[in-house]
Amino acid sequence: MNSQVLSIRGMTCAACAQRIEKTVRKLSGIEQATVNLASEKLFVEYDESILPLTTIKQAVTKIGYEVVEKSESSNVTIPIGGMTCAACAQRVEKGIKKLPGVTSATVNFATEKAAVSYDPHQIRLSAIREAIEKAGYEALEVNKADAADEDRARKQKEIKVLWTKFTVSAVFALPLLYIAMVPMLIMYGIRLPYPKGLDPMNYPLIYALLQIVLVIPVIGVGYKFYTIGFKALIQRSPNMDSLIAIGTTAAILYSIYNTWLITQGEFKAVDSLYFETAGVIITLILLGKSLEAVSKGRTSEAIKKLMGLAPKTALIIQDGAEKEIPIDEVEIGDIIIVKPGAKIPVDGTVTEGHTSIDESMLTGESMPVDKKAGDPVYTASLNTTGMIQFKAEKVGSDTALAQIIKLVEDAQGSKAPIAAMADKVSGVFVPVVCIIALLAGVAWLIGSGGDVKFALTIFISVLVIACPCALGLATPTAIMVGTGKGAENGILIKGGEALETAHKINTIVFDKTGTITEGKPTVTDVLTTQDSPADYLLQMTASAEKSSEHPLGQAIVTGAQDKGLDLLKVDSFNSITGRGIEAVINGQTVLAGNRKLMDERSISLTVLETDSDRLAGEGKTPMYVAIDGELAGIVAVADVVKASSKGAIESLHRMGIEVAMITGDNRKTADAIAKQVGIDRVLAEVLPQDKSNEVKKLQGEGRKVAMVGDGINDAPALAQADIGIAIGSGTDVAMESADIVLMHSDLMDVPTAIDLSKKTIRNIKQNLFWAFGYNVVGIPIAAGVLHLFGGPLLNPMFAAAAMSLSSVSVLTNALRLKRFKAANQERRGA
Amino acid sequence: MKNKMKRIVAAAAGLVAAMALTACSGLKSLDVVGQGSITSFEEVLKTIPDQVQADETNVGWALSAPDDSVRFIWSEDYSNAPLHDVMLEFDAQPFLDAGLDPEKLPDNYAFYEGDRMGSTGGKMLMVGTKLGSDKFTYNGSPTAVTAYEQIVNNYRGSINFHTSLDHYGVKLGDGNMFEWAKDMETNGYDHSDQDKDIVFVLNPQPLIEAGINPEKIEGWTYAQVTVDEHGKEEQVWKLLKPFNLK
Repeated sequence: MNSQVLSIRGMTCAACAQRIEKTVRKLSGIEQATVNLASEKLFVEYDESILPLTTIKQAVTKIGYEVVEKSESSNVTIPIGGMTCAACAQRVEKGIKKLPGVTSATVNFATEKAAVSYDPHQIRLSAIREAIEKAGYEALEVNKADAADEDRARKQKEIKVLWTKFTVSAVFALPLLYIAMVPMLIMYGIRLPYPKGLDPMNYPLIYALLQIVLVIPVIGVGYKFYTIGFKALIQRSPNMDSLIAIGTTAAILYSIYNTWLITQGEFKAVDSLYFETAGVIITLILLGKSLEAVSKGRTSEAIKKLMGLAPKTALIIQDGAEKEIPIDEVEIGDIIIVKPGAKIPVDGTVTEGHTSIDESMLTGESMPVDKKAGDPVYTASLNTTGMIQFKAEKVGSDTALAQIIKLVEDAQGSKAPIAAMADKVSGVFVPVVCIIALLAGVAWLIGSGGDVKFALTIFISVLVIACPCALGLATPTAIMVGTGKGAENGILIKGGEALETAHKINTIVFDKTGTITEGKPTVTDVLTTQDSPADYLLQMTASAEKSSEHPLGQAIVTGAQDKGLDLLKVDSFNSITGRGIEAVINGQTVLAGNRKLMDERSISLTVLETDSDRLAGEGKTPMYVAIDGELAGIVAVADVVKASSKGAIESLHRMGIEVAMITGDNRKTADAIAKQVGIDRVLAEVLPQDKSNEVKKLQGEGRKVAMVGDGINDAPALAQADIGIAIGSGTDVAMESADIVLMHSDLMDVPTAIDLSKKTIRNIKQNLFWAFGYNVVGIPIAAGVLHLFGGPLLNPMFAAAAMSLSSVSVLTNALRLKRFKAANQERRGA
Repeated sequence: MKNKMKRIVAAAAGLVAAMALTACSGLKSLDVVGQGSITSFEEVLKTIPDQVQADETNVGWALSAPDDSVRFIWSEDYSNAPLHDVMLEFDAQPFLDAGLDPEKLPDNYAFYEGDRMGSTGGKMLMVGTKLGSDKFTYNGSPTAVTAYEQIVNNYRGSINFHTSLDHYGVKLGDGNMFEWAKDMETNGYDHSDQDKDIVFVLNPQPLIEAGINPEKIEGWTYAQVTVDEHGKEEQVWKLLKPFNLK
């Protein structure tokens, strides 16, 4: 099964999205097809053996939309030095075109540049450069178009074009409105300056012709409403453009007919001109579209920010010299130099030097991490102090940052189940509105005794006020902003479904080790029975444990080293499985292990019995140490609770969520930890393979369960839970198994993620309420229901204004989510 | 971008200005009301040719009502017209009978012993307005129609269209009018025949101030009518003398 993301151009409303989905789903071999109107993307899963991608693209193109596939080819402009004539350009062009993987190449002698399209999977840019050099010319510094920049530029252009269209439209529509409306204002006692020569009573034809002249440019700039709208109508799949096209065309044709009547001496027809209605409707819709484009651009700012993190160039060592090259030219194995203050350009491993690197963009830790030879470095992290050299290991789309960007992009393009109803309504919305408009028009025509003018007003108003755009934008925009905001806070939500489910969670199960606790045992207490100092006992025990591979032994060694204690030479070492160790140091026999070991060696523990119980009660593991057959003391080791655990659990409690902890530890230790952080329910002594069953049991109680773990050994439980939340850096494989990935190892991100989910879903519900409510209220008013009971009649121009504002209001509401603040944002200094 | 915008705004402004100028200059073919009024006025004249006569006193032409009680007179040479360029002349007796004190009439009225449609000795009233002092040139001898055309071509503001009645009209000043149907067959915008093919209209106010009881003027109807004032329909009282010609 293949999956592909295709960028679609030409969609104007939810009906367009529905239409594309329907068309693609009909194709044999399609597993899934989802269109996101806000991001203008089509996600397809298909069986390539049955259905080639080109067929999908053709199907979309056939119904009138443009497919811009995420290009497999790269475009590059290479400045060339040394060309002296057109023949040189020809020669270079031929040389490049011959290369396998080059799809097109044009060399312009005047600009001294080669524009090349190539498949980066087949050929590297360096090979193209080599070909130029081989032809005898100089391949100068490459200026490669950045996909994000291209996309940004395209959207900026789109916004600019829409604003220009709106401005042109407004320049003509305003005088049109003035000319048409001022004579009517006289009826209300308002007199504004007005040329006598345009008085509709005395110069009706001039009045009408001037309106035609003014409305033509407005229709000209809004021609797409007609080309797209009527095309969709002909293909029996009307969309928002169809509504505008039908409404304004009806207004214009009726007005032209009345203009003809004026020429025939029917001067009364001057009262039935609707040119200004058509002009103002188009202008207002263009205004709405312009505002919509600006708002839509803002919904994807999070991705732009992420993309902007990566540097554009890298300093590599080539032929023993430093050379700055574009990031796309970096190849695996290149040795890259990073100077203090510079960003790491790709993922790799340090080969030389040492430094501190700020990895906060990945891990959230504000403290820079020391790096030396052999340590990994990640794209976009900041080298703060020393200069290092590292070997590139992951470039392009393989870097951790690229994967995060892809994850967020995929999430932003996904649909939440809550969108299903809006999608269904959008699918039938436009045809239903057309029918309502027609029925209302005919009903009023009959009811008003044949008043065509009145019936037409109703017909146009219904068509124009109905807004499928607001319905189509309600969910995806909120998801885009919500998931984007999550990404900004290091919370990677993998899709709309996860976002929606998260707000329903009423039970959260935390894995203990590595999640609630640091996951690294440390020495917490050293108790002695003799007069010898605690440091001596720790030194002896650590020296004995030096050869042990047990995590507790390693924790004791680290504890001694942290205190600056030297480890003594061990004469002999013996590991006693399941018990502990025995070593001889300076002729003294050191025994370190559990109660069983001491009992077997008949060493009395009475002196420290009480302390031992107390330590166990605190969740610590007491390790007994005997020297030369006498109990010398206890070294207690424990996995300490993370600083954020207690606060996070308190926050979850405030949200009314029950918090459980799952662990393989014994109940006593588990209870002790649970008590420290305020866990409601403890699931102790659970084997790793049984964790998912425990989650299942909770689900069996009717609970919506989220599982929070480190994402590797908790994978089955993460998968079983309604929402799996993996904690760890974004580089972890956890990203694969969980629904939500917390890039920072901060438990406060769990309540933040739930809170973000709740706020996003609330935002979606608000959007849907307004979008549905607007249409439910607006359409009957436009159909004249209020007028039926003596109320006002909606002017089509007001209907157009309301329609434009409905989309803008939905987008504005979605953008409110950008103000979302994470609970721990201030602490992080974000 | 700024220059582009300037060009667009300039183009729009130019277009509006050009259209406004065209409108102001009264491009004949586009002035359907003015041109239509000529055609329909000619039709009225043709319908009652015997009632159309040259009026030497007023240097123009006169259209008399079928009962000869009132005439609409329009001058063919405003430089020579003695009193008004467009006017109504009508029998004063009904007004005197209704209490008119001729001394109290305003300046646009004239009261005199007149020569009414061939008979002498009658008391007459005349009301009208001076449009200008033009000496028009004609292709050949002036006719009733070409004399009327001068009003349309030179004093277009004096011609109006009464939408609710589907009537053209010539403004005679101070709310006095002479109106005629655009189409005598379908008289009225709703194609109902209102039997008002020509209507002589007087503003009753100055006459009331001169002592008349407007409801007691024989042969004239005192009624509220709808008038269009720059698109604003208003109900006003008028003294009317309508005639059905077809």
